Amino acid sequence: MKDLIPPFDFEQVMVAPWTTGLEGTIWIVLMGALVGIACGIIGNFLLLRRMALVGDAISHSILLGLILAFLIFRNAGTGVMFLGALLSGVATVAIIEFIHKQSRVKIDAAICIAFTTLFAIGVTLVSAAETAGPVHIDAECVLYGEIGFVIFEPPAKLGNVVLGPTSVVRMAIVTLLLLAAVILFYKELVITSFDGGLAKAMGMRTGLWHYGLMVALSLVVVSAFESVGAVLAVAMLIVPAMFGSQLSNRLPVRLVLTSLHAIVSAVLGYHLAIWLECSIAGAMVVVGSLLFVAAWFGTMAAARWHHSVSKAEQTGRQTPDSLPMTHS
Amino acid sequence: MKSSAGTETDIPLEVHDLSVAYHKKPVLYGIDVQIEPGNLVGIVGPNGAGKSTLIKAIMGLLPLTSGWVKVFGKSYKQNCSRVGYVPQRESVDWDFPVNVLDVVLMGRFGRLRLGQRPRAHDRHVAMECLEKVQMLPYARRQIGNLSGGQQQRVFLARALAQESDLYLMDEPFVGVDAATEAAIITLLRELKSRDKTVLVVHHDLSTAKEYFDQLLLLNMRLIAYGRAENVFTPEILQTTYGGRLNILSEVVQTLGGPRP
Amino acid sequence: MSSPFHPFTVRSHRWLLLALLVAVGSFSLPEPAAAARISDITETNIVDRAVRFFTMQDRSLRYALIGSLLLGVSCGLMGAFLVVRKLALMSDSLSHAVLPGVALGFLWTMTKNPFAIFIGATIAGLLGAGVVQAIRSTTKQKEDASLGFVLAAFYAVGICLMTMIQNLPGGSKSGLDKFMFGQVAALSQDDILLLGGVTLLAVLLIFIFYKEFLLTSFDPSFARSAGLPTQIFHYLLMLLLAFSIVASLQAVGVILVAAMLVIPAASAYLLTDRMGWMLMLSAIFGMCSGAVGAFFSFVGRNLPTGPLMVMAAAVVFVLALFFGPRHGIFARWWRHRSRSKRIQRENTLKAIYRILESEQFLDQSVSLTELAEHRRETIEEASHQLHDLKQCGLVTMTADRQSSVFTPAGWQRACEIVRNHRLWELYLTNAANYASDHVHEDAERIEHVLGEEMVRKLERRLQFAHRDPHGKLIPSQADIQSGGPTPRSSEAAVGYGAGPPEEPLR
Repeated sequence: MKDLIPPFDFEQVMVAPWTTGLEGTIWIVLMGALVGIACGIIGNFLLLRRMALVGDAISHSILLGLILAFLIFRNAGTGVMFLGALLSGVATVAIIEFIHKQSRVKIDAAICIAFTTLFAIGVTLVSAAETAGPVHIDAECVLYGEIGFVIFEPPAKLGNVVLGPTSVVRMAIVTLLLLAAVILFYKELVITSFDGGLAKAMGMRTGLWHYGLMVALSLVVVSAFESVGAVLAVAMLIVPAMFGSQLSNRLPVRLVLTSLHAIVSAVLGYHLAIWLECSIAGAMVVVGSLLFVAAWFGTMAAARWHHSVSKAEQTGRQTPDSLPMTHS
Repeated sequence: MKSSAGTETDIPLEVHDLSVAYHKKPVLYGIDVQIEPGNLVGIVGPNGAGKSTLIKAIMGLLPLTSGWVKVFGKSYKQNCSRVGYVPQRESVDWDFPVNVLDVVLMGRFGRLRLGQRPRAHDRHVAMECLEKVQMLPYARRQIGNLSGGQQQRVFLARALAQESDLYLMDEPFVGVDAATEAAIITLLRELKSRDKTVLVVHHDLSTAKEYFDQLLLLNMRLIAYGRAENVFTPEILQTTYGGRLNILSEVVQTLGGPRP
Repeated sequence: MSSPFHPFTVRSHRWLLLALLVAVGSFSLPEPAAAARISDITETNIVDRAVRFFTMQDRSLRYALIGSLLLGVSCGLMGAFLVVRKLALMSDSLSHAVLPGVALGFLWTMTKNPFAIFIGATIAGLLGAGVVQAIRSTTKQKEDASLGFVLAAFYAVGICLMTMIQNLPGGSKSGLDKFMFGQVAALSQDDILLLGGVTLLAVLLIFIFYKEFLLTSFDPSFARSAGLPTQIFHYLLMLLLAFSIVASLQAVGVILVAAMLVIPAASAYLLTDRMGWMLMLSAIFGMCSGAVGAFFSFVGRNLPTGPLMVMAAAVVFVLALFFGPRHGIFARWWRHRSRSKRIQRENTLKAIYRILESEQFLDQSVSLTELAEHRRETIEEASHQLHDLKQCGLVTMTADRQSSVFTPAGWQRACEIVRNHRLWELYLTNAANYASDHVHEDAERIEHVLGEEMVRKLERRLQFAHRDPHGKLIPSQADIQSGGPTPRSSEAAVGYGAGPPEEPLR
């Protein structure tokens, strides 16, 4: 057991990455932060629509889309990837709704059935392909990715300018597009998430927005897939957004907090992974979870302190009648 | 059976042979009514009578199994900007991270294009509407920190911000304090004075006659529609609430087919 | 008829299961000979491998099969309760949450000791459930968010531990990687004992507490008001769930255990309306999927078992979804189609009646052209409908196939339909104050579904009126029994609008 945790060498864990290993560190941390920011922003809307576990479902079923696209087109280029992801994302949601509407199976079971089946088919295809010949995706990668591989990738170029590793550049583009879309369509996203009935009564096509969000989700997840894998993508969707929602009641503030959370988790997570010599993406999520727990306990403590302070004040004077009641 | 695209008229709402079924069981059956403009109309009936369903069906939120709806002479879709909506309070998540002003501004979204930001004028209208419901001091407060009456007033302000000619309200008086109730009545009367038409699903029979000019009595089908004093008779009330038409309900239920 | 709380029918199911368990358990008695490892099997031919599997000559193959049967039963039984309590996603969350427990269990003994792993995983699972509850009760986070958080956080910790273990000497041979997607071939005797124990426990507890589990699943508030300790049964179920998950981990894998819990149970849910049968079917489907998955895993050169079991279960689910006799999509479509055909037939009968009536029943036969004209359709369509009626014995055709005549059965049904239609029109106009343009369409729909009891009620309500709002005669019981149309004398016959209608009834 004592061999498990390597000794903590401050120089090696905290300093070296920023000096000798700088280039690798930059790309890895940047990738982690971008994944966290993109997933976190979409995750906020998933949480508001209570669709966190649909996000979980899509992150798993995307594997099938990827492997099918790869097998059909025989190449693993970006366009092919995106196509596979998009189709599997839409197919998953369509299947869930089909099962739910056409039978008495409830929505939670429908979600579970849809994504596990698609995922199972995907894993089997991957394993069969693995034994049959060399394949771009491997089974372990599916689960937790290997974010460290970004530094080995061929760089993406714009003309003669080397931008950086391909997947990082891709992720950056996806993140920027997502940010632009959220800013542009902010009010539509808010109203369809908050009061779908009113939105529909005003003539908005709520179904379209729903599927649009699913498409964006699929594209973000597929871009993150190789680095963090299926299940950790789910973590990135949920944990940063929960951090933001725990600390703020205002959506714009939540989005900013989510992004900060993603950046901090990426940096600290990388250090943790260097120290423990473990999965980098896993470490990033662990740090992120600890940040949420800190926020959780912090808000509980703050509430308790606030409560004891106001109780102390109340013993001095009468409570006015017109104080609004807190919604419980 | 669809009506052809009509011409704009003064009649705020016309409904013909409207039927709505939920999982094949009819909830509304053959509703036929024409609402006169400039009236406060209360929709009353027993629980499960289809009152909220009627409102939602008018707005196209539920599919019709028969019949059609015309709002000011045209289909709802064409004239949705002329209709303001106050849904039931439990239809939203009050933990949503928006404040009171954000919610009222949502009433203006129908007038904004895709991707267009709310303008200064929209903000101005929203503040005005908040003023009308006496909620202006709470403009920056998150909506979860409000009482039931205050939440209802925010919803009302949002509907007012839609600047419509026909207002549809779903049980706005449920669970609100006396002050809010009075405020809502005042607001309704003010709307009427500006020639607006308001349809309100009302849960409380004892106040229906007092609050509204006209009443619409519903129990899966239209029992009566007319001036409150004319329609509020023992016989009609018996028919609405007393289940005298249970042959109709029983038979119509079988249209849904045998239970699997 | 037994009430749902009387486990009489279930008892018989339970004895069956117990018997099965005993049979299965006897296979796992220790034998002196050395175990053969699956990797030692060198047959490359698929048929040979299949034969080898089913003849169960090798100990480890036997374990693989027994293990999959056992996990099928335990997952099936637990899954039935999960599905009706809508806890499918809770099981997904819990099954991911046990991963760090698996890693820690391994670290405790530095071997793949099933008992250590079982304890570690169970503790992790229960801790996860506790955290979900804590988040729900102390923050404003919603159910899906709390479940998602535990799933993600615990899983990440597990992944970190697993990758750290890989760095240890002997770590890469730990066999822990099999826990991801499952490998039934890796089951040892201890694993089988564990599975057997868990399954036995589940069967026993469900047997003893059947009605308590049933009531608390169906209506917890009523259960509480009746004095049942609802919380205790909930925690008991969660504990059993945790055990099932952990015991099945090695065979199915962390990610897909939830599928083995939910999919067979959902298939059973679609096929029956009684909880006892649902439990039974769920267990059976679980066993079949487990065995099929294990089989294909073996035949396919040790492909991971979990996905294969899930796909087998999914096939069963799809079959149940589409072809289930009562709720299946196909069955519903078929019922809808028969209903439409029946309505079509009845409309034709009605048309024939009306044509005959317009001639005061002087002529007994209706020609194809008359029918086609009346119904505004082509001769071919009319001919097709008459042919259909003939197949059902409701009309007979003349020799030249151009005209048709009612059989007694056809006449009876035609009278009934027309009577229903006209009674309903009368009811709507007189008693229900309907606008006149609705009345006819309405009656067109209602006439087909009016039952005899309802007709009697209507007749009483309308005081046995003779005529409908248009003045046409409503066929009476005498008409129906007469066996065929009889010409009406001119006083009694009332055609369209001829003669004043009777005083409308109040």
